[in-house]
Amino acid sequence: MHIGNLKNLQRREFLRRASALGLVGTAAPWALHLAAIGEAAAADASGYKALVCVFLNGGNDHGNTVVPYDQPSHDAYAAIRQTLATPRDQLAATALTPSVALDGGRQWALAPTLAPLKPAFDAGRLGVLLNVGTLVQPTSVAQYRARSVPLPPKLFSHNDQQSVWQAAMPEGATSGWGGRIGDLFLSSNGSSTFTCINVAGNAVYLSGQQAVQYQISTGGAIAVNGITRPLYGSQACADALRNLTTSPRGNNWLEQELNRVTARSVGAQATVAAALSAAPANFATPFDTTNPLASQLLMVARLIASRAALGAKRQVFFVSLGGFDLHDNLNAQHPALLGRVGGALASFDAAMAELGVASQVTAFTASDFGRTLSSNGDGSDHGWGAHHVVLGGAVRGGRFWGAQPEVSVNGTDDVGQGRLLPTTGVDQLAATLAGWMGVADSEMPLVVPQIGNYTQRNLGLLA
Amino acid sequence: MQTSHAAPHLAVQDFGHDAPQIPGVLAQAHGAASIPPTLHLPSANLLATTVAAGSLLTACGGGGGGGSTASGGGPVAKLPPPTQPQAARFLGQAGFAAGSADTAMLTGQGYEAWLEAQFAMSPSSGHFDWLLAKGYGTAAYKYNTGIADQTLWRKLLSAPDVLRQRVVLALSEIFVISLPGLSIAWPAFAAAAYMDTLEAHAFGSYRQLLQAVTLSCGMGAYLNLRGNQKGDTKTGRQPDENYAREVMQLFTIGLVQLNPDGSPKLLADGRAQYTYNQEHVTALAQVFTGWDFNTADANADPGFMRLPMRHIATRFATGDKSVLGTAIPASADGPTAMNIALDTLANHPNVGPFIGRQIVQRLVCSNPSPAYVARVAAAFANNGQGQRGDMKAVIRAVLLDPEAMAPSIGVASGKLREPVLRFVQWARTFGVTSPTDLWNVGDTSNPGSRLGQSPLRSPSVFNFFRPGYVPPDSALGASGVTAPEFQLCNETTVAGYLNFMQGVIQNGIGELKPDYTAELPQANDATALVARYSLLLAGGRLGADTLGTITTAVGSIAATTDTARLNRVRAAILLVMAAPDYQIQQ
Repeated sequence: MHIGNLKNLQRREFLRRASALGLVGTAAPWALHLAAIGEAAAADASGYKALVCVFLNGGNDHGNTVVPYDQPSHDAYAAIRQTLATPRDQLAATALTPSVALDGGRQWALAPTLAPLKPAFDAGRLGVLLNVGTLVQPTSVAQYRARSVPLPPKLFSHNDQQSVWQAAMPEGATSGWGGRIGDLFLSSNGSSTFTCINVAGNAVYLSGQQAVQYQISTGGAIAVNGITRPLYGSQACADALRNLTTSPRGNNWLEQELNRVTARSVGAQATVAAALSAAPANFATPFDTTNPLASQLLMVARLIASRAALGAKRQVFFVSLGGFDLHDNLNAQHPALLGRVGGALASFDAAMAELGVASQVTAFTASDFGRTLSSNGDGSDHGWGAHHVVLGGAVRGGRFWGAQPEVSVNGTDDVGQGRLLPTTGVDQLAATLAGWMGVADSEMPLVVPQIGNYTQRNLGLLA
Repeated sequence: MQTSHAAPHLAVQDFGHDAPQIPGVLAQAHGAASIPPTLHLPSANLLATTVAAGSLLTACGGGGGGGSTASGGGPVAKLPPPTQPQAARFLGQAGFAAGSADTAMLTGQGYEAWLEAQFAMSPSSGHFDWLLAKGYGTAAYKYNTGIADQTLWRKLLSAPDVLRQRVVLALSEIFVISLPGLSIAWPAFAAAAYMDTLEAHAFGSYRQLLQAVTLSCGMGAYLNLRGNQKGDTKTGRQPDENYAREVMQLFTIGLVQLNPDGSPKLLADGRAQYTYNQEHVTALAQVFTGWDFNTADANADPGFMRLPMRHIATRFATGDKSVLGTAIPASADGPTAMNIALDTLANHPNVGPFIGRQIVQRLVCSNPSPAYVARVAAAFANNGQGQRGDMKAVIRAVLLDPEAMAPSIGVASGKLREPVLRFVQWARTFGVTSPTDLWNVGDTSNPGSRLGQSPLRSPSVFNFFRPGYVPPDSALGASGVTAPEFQLCNETTVAGYLNFMQGVIQNGIGELKPDYTAELPQANDATALVARYSLLLAGGRLGADTLGTITTAVGSIAATTDTARLNRVRAAILLVMAAPDYQIQQ
């Protein structure tokens, strides 16, 4: 479907649902109706499902994450990467044997420090998605060079490509596809507050039209001491503190927003604390809490364990790890970063099995962009397409998805210095994950507005 | 080889096909209908919506004040000296706290005299010298960053040259380096020297500031200019692009061409135009090769960290180079080529509005009107004596603009005070000192228990918050209003801040104790006490409802003992600093 049909489809879908709900003719703005639309979508929210976005801040060096392993490919890789290349003998233990053989007899290996993820691949719970990235529509290298098709705005810029990955718009975007999935399921959840939960701070990914991202620390929801207990001995002052910081404000939008956030913080804290305390604080599975990503995923796991108390049937989570912008020190720092990713995801995978929800929770990695395959001596520079992993019991894992890029510089798949032109759009991944969550095909443009630009709307990597 | 396919692009000055789109235009340009505009989905363009917000909303207040600031330089007519609340409010923008000496000078001699006196003050004792004087230049501190926190807090909490310190903090959030990102020996010394460099140039010329930043060891290490080498055709090694990209995106011109009022220059079909593309980055990376620390042994001692980096000709890329498509001859040596590149960037018409708007955001308000930005940009372009990039003229234009001086409160006016600035204001207002002179405030980054922000500890070169950040799920987001500091505002940080302040107001931090002895005598009268903190902390801007709420609550503590009076003081301070009409600085 071409994007030109999108408007009509949305209008038709809206009208269908609006008339079902008796809303036709009301003058409220579109966004206000989304909760009502979500109500109509509630039929799709049977059971429990959750999506976990694991964002690698700074642009992960995909070239040393999923590494060419067959001898000719590794030779090409080593010739290009020089001192950055991981020697082939160090990759033997993490070389992957996919259930579906790859074209050209090619083989790939995970980075050695991603070894904790190999069992999940072998067990069919981890899939590797090759060369995915931001696009407006399918794009060839020739079209890129000629600028003859629309390209994602502000390519190669960290903040903007993070935003485009998450929200299909550069910095300044106000809703991402995680949040827009949340929009459709708000009314399926007992409390809409716990639909989109961020354990990493702030990301546009989790903001919807209606869905508001709820931020929680790795230690849980933080109580305001001066509200929950007398302030400097005074209950009247505690009451005043609550009143000042949580009451709706008048005209000024900044004051309004500040108090809205504080009211949400104070309002949700007791619920979250009670829900978390009712579930086990730890799992048989160890999480390395010196690893910030593992700490975040442990909190996600605890929240999933508390899903009944939180009244959640559909949730989208966001966690992140920084430090990936390795223009320098790639060899010194990248393996340890990937070790954190591998360790944290492996713990999370095991914890989901422990909770019996392995097939109901899907985690996936994402990043600003991939990087150059060529070396700048001690690191790599900003690129575009990248390899990522998708993990969970519902994943048709143990195999590769997407198209294998050529291992070359200025070859058929890159736009210079081994910057991959993505062959799979983030929109396609988003639509695939949204569909698994229960978003109907007809609703998909609400979540992934550009999906009509693609003929393949579901990558098939989830059962 | 690498630039062969790029060459045609370098000659093209109109990157129209490359450019970001405004709402609907992208789809229409390719023969398709746009998505419904109310959905706020991908085709909405930030810059366009920002312009709309700036022109339709009251922004910082919409002006309407005295209009006594010349657009091109210094004031043409002296402003009337401020009242005490006006002085307190002004010191919240130009400094950290309403100190009595600064307030007296402002109310007695006026804004201009105070600014000139601040401009004339020598920088207070330097960060680097302080680290050395403490004996930190030894192997035991080679990888220590906590000593940098000490000296950073020392000056934030105690330096008398408050305007310089405030502007330097702002500059450190534009020209960002970050302690956790300095993977070198002597990171604290790199940070200290960097802050000394910002201090040295804060009131000088932007062009010299840009050069000093570029050649500083701290920036060299942070954005990898240090050690960057020419390409090698045998191995395929390419120059590192990091500094070339970020110096354009963040320190000089930004991503899209701007009008003098900060709005994007739009083509007839509504598209914005990029200032540069990937090929320009690759070409500029060639220019930034050959630089390294000026030492034979970067491990031996930290002395080199205060020296500009040196150029090593053998590592410099040979051949023709360019900046923004303008050729730099192969004959130019490394320093000459860098000079041409920095000259070109510093002279780009974007710099005034791009940097000027950010300085307004750091000091005054989040969403300045285009006219305000244009006045600041004009001062950047010409200080009144034909000089471009005079930081003093820019600072005067930012602080004395009618929109800064006499704002009308609107839906989008003001800014959220940075967490660090709230804490510093409290500490300075209530006489916090460090008897040991070690200033162990530490890293305040923890969002759940401290400030969620710590000086020179940004998570990346993109600062703690972006100038273009628009809070989603809010009236601000619906209207595309930028409010950078809200990027740090979430359910965790709002609680973490209140808890942190409750603790420090009562206990200080370790040996850093507040001195409330001058406050206690005023605590018997709750109304006067709260009014005092409204003046000192909020520039007298708390609303009647807020004052009433706080006064009633504080007054309910019976002031019968010194302990009770102390609790009145503590509660009044915390409640003022929690109030939304305090946290949003107007």
